[in-house]
Amino acid sequence: MSLIAVPETRLMLLGWNLRVADVAVRERVAFNADEVRDALKQLIGRGLVAESVIVSTCHRSEIYSVFEGEGRGEDLTRFFAEWRGLAPSDLSRSSFLAEGADAARHLFRVAAGLDSMALGESEVLGQVRQALKLARESGTSRTVLHRMFECAVAAGKRVRTETEIAVRPVSVASIALELAAKVFGDLSEKTVFVLGAGETGDLFARQASEAGVGRLFVSSRTRERAEGLARRVACEVVAWDEFPGRLPAADVVVGTTSSREPVVLRADVEEAMRERRGRPMFFLDLAVPRDIEPAVAEIYNVFSYQLNDLEEVARENRAQRSRQVPHAEAIVEEELWKFLGWMGNLSVVPTLNDWRRRWNEQRDTELERQPAAERERLREFADALYGRLLHEPMRRLKSETEPGKKLERLEAVRHLFKLDDDE
Amino acid sequence: MGSHLLGWAAVSLYLAAEVLAIVSLRRPKPAADVAGAVCLAVGLALHFADLELRARALGSVPYRTLEGSVSLFGWMLAIAYLALWIRHRERAMGPFLIPIVVVSTALGMLLPSRVAPVSAQTRGALFALHVTFAILAYAAFTFSFVLSLLYLIQNRQIRRKQTGILFARLPALEVIGRMNRTSVSIGLVSLALALAIGVARAQRLWGSLGDPKITWAFLTLVVYALLLWLDRRGWEGTRVAVLSIFGFGVVLFSYTVVNMYFSTAHNFR
Repeated sequence: MSLIAVPETRLMLLGWNLRVADVAVRERVAFNADEVRDALKQLIGRGLVAESVIVSTCHRSEIYSVFEGEGRGEDLTRFFAEWRGLAPSDLSRSSFLAEGADAARHLFRVAAGLDSMALGESEVLGQVRQALKLARESGTSRTVLHRMFECAVAAGKRVRTETEIAVRPVSVASIALELAAKVFGDLSEKTVFVLGAGETGDLFARQASEAGVGRLFVSSRTRERAEGLARRVACEVVAWDEFPGRLPAADVVVGTTSSREPVVLRADVEEAMRERRGRPMFFLDLAVPRDIEPAVAEIYNVFSYQLNDLEEVARENRAQRSRQVPHAEAIVEEELWKFLGWMGNLSVVPTLNDWRRRWNEQRDTELERQPAAERERLREFADALYGRLLHEPMRRLKSETEPGKKLERLEAVRHLFKLDDDE
Repeated sequence: MGSHLLGWAAVSLYLAAEVLAIVSLRRPKPAADVAGAVCLAVGLALHFADLELRARALGSVPYRTLEGSVSLFGWMLAIAYLALWIRHRERAMGPFLIPIVVVSTALGMLLPSRVAPVSAQTRGALFALHVTFAILAYAAFTFSFVLSLLYLIQNRQIRRKQTGILFARLPALEVIGRMNRTSVSIGLVSLALALAIGVARAQRLWGSLGDPKITWAFLTLVVYALLLWLDRRGWEGTRVAVLSIFGFGVVLFSYTVVNMYFSTAHNFR
């Protein structure tokens, strides 16, 4: 049962994310910024929803909506199925639906990184912000969703500053880049060499490029592969036999080749360090067997890491992040209740009005059965009784400060007095 | 020498800044950062007022006495850190540096007061410049000492792949190295000036350069100059950090043992 399922403002979430939908479906329902704007306009234009925000990332497409009066998740599913040219049944099978507090809780958890593949990742917070921005530009986020998204972003920020959920990197490449950044400071002035243009080299080059390294070079025994990589990722190709001569210019060297013998030798690094006047060098060996001679690690001011070392750190860091989950969930709940409290206040007034209307209807029905001469006196009596009887419960309902209790009581009033029935 | 009410108020504010710096190192909060900087700034103002009162009571510069010079040292250290904070928002040093500020400011009020009458030695603008430059040099070398400790800590974290809070909050090695180079350079220039003025005055007042303090100041200069030279010749990194810590040992020895037991002109008697 939804806590805030009052007819005036019903909150609903319809989504496809990595937990319920496979990648084929997610690809079909993914939105780019223009599509988000278009979908939002159509949703409002067709009168399907009163407010709407769409969060679309590579792992999720989630539509948060506010209905005024009647509105159903099935209508939304049908709309998106039609929009994407899919069968509604296919789409609804792999979607999930949440209402009221559950929908809000989901968004807060998403913003906090608690629903992400890499627990606590920060990128999603920016994506939630971006979703709100697009909806604001399209005029589809108003009072409720605007407030909900701002509260969710605040919760996400709190989780990341008050817990250690985002402190430790969790992938081998990100750990390596963070270690390198702690040696060199600003990586945007540094030169990175990737040896090998296979899958691992490609992955690392991409991450290094995203991290904004200054110059990125790739070198491979098969020049075509290096050139292929250079086309996919913005980097320059260095001929394989030229690489040792270029070593002194490299701040970070990453080995990813399938060579049976080490390709970076101690003697070469010693020579490079002499030319660099002892400025630090950073080596990362992601190859099996090794690309970088182990003795390189013994040279003064050389930082050298292997795949195994960093995989272990990644495991430890993931475990460390998991330990932060209870604290993060507590923050999410705290911020969620603040939002629901505000939402509850929105719901008190309509509930009280409905309650009065229901009383008046029943009073008038009863008065009809009374002799006409007495009706006026009886109406006065009934109103006085109404005032006396309902004054205290109404006052208590209004003054309840704990959002959870307030919402439960509102729900109880609506249920006991059948305020949600239209007859 | 009075009750140093202002001085103690400054110490309390420095302590508050230290607590906020530790809080901020654990969980960075802009509000705690700014509050810490404000505590430090107000502390500096009160500390300055305390030095001013000392000067009035002495009828000369406040650092003619041992307590006064220790207190001025704490003040300079604090103002250098505040400048670094304002310029670079560098807060990781705070928890390590502010305790030295607190201890030296408190020592400046706790050490037994021994006031020698003003003499030809302790009068005039040159004397004031000599002491100011010397204390500035000590403050810069203390800065370098703290930076070197941070360097060794961060280097250890990186080598051991410990990517926790301290790793995240401490600056990169290259950044610490750069700040260290700046501190040592400021220290070297200041000490060279202090030494030059000191030597000129020694010649004029006593006609001799026999004061062991001169030898030690010269030795300190050599250590730090060597540090800068080696830094450009392949010693950049932990070796320079260790040498800086050694240099600070020389400074401490010169400021305490040499002042008290070997130098007659620097024993504040």
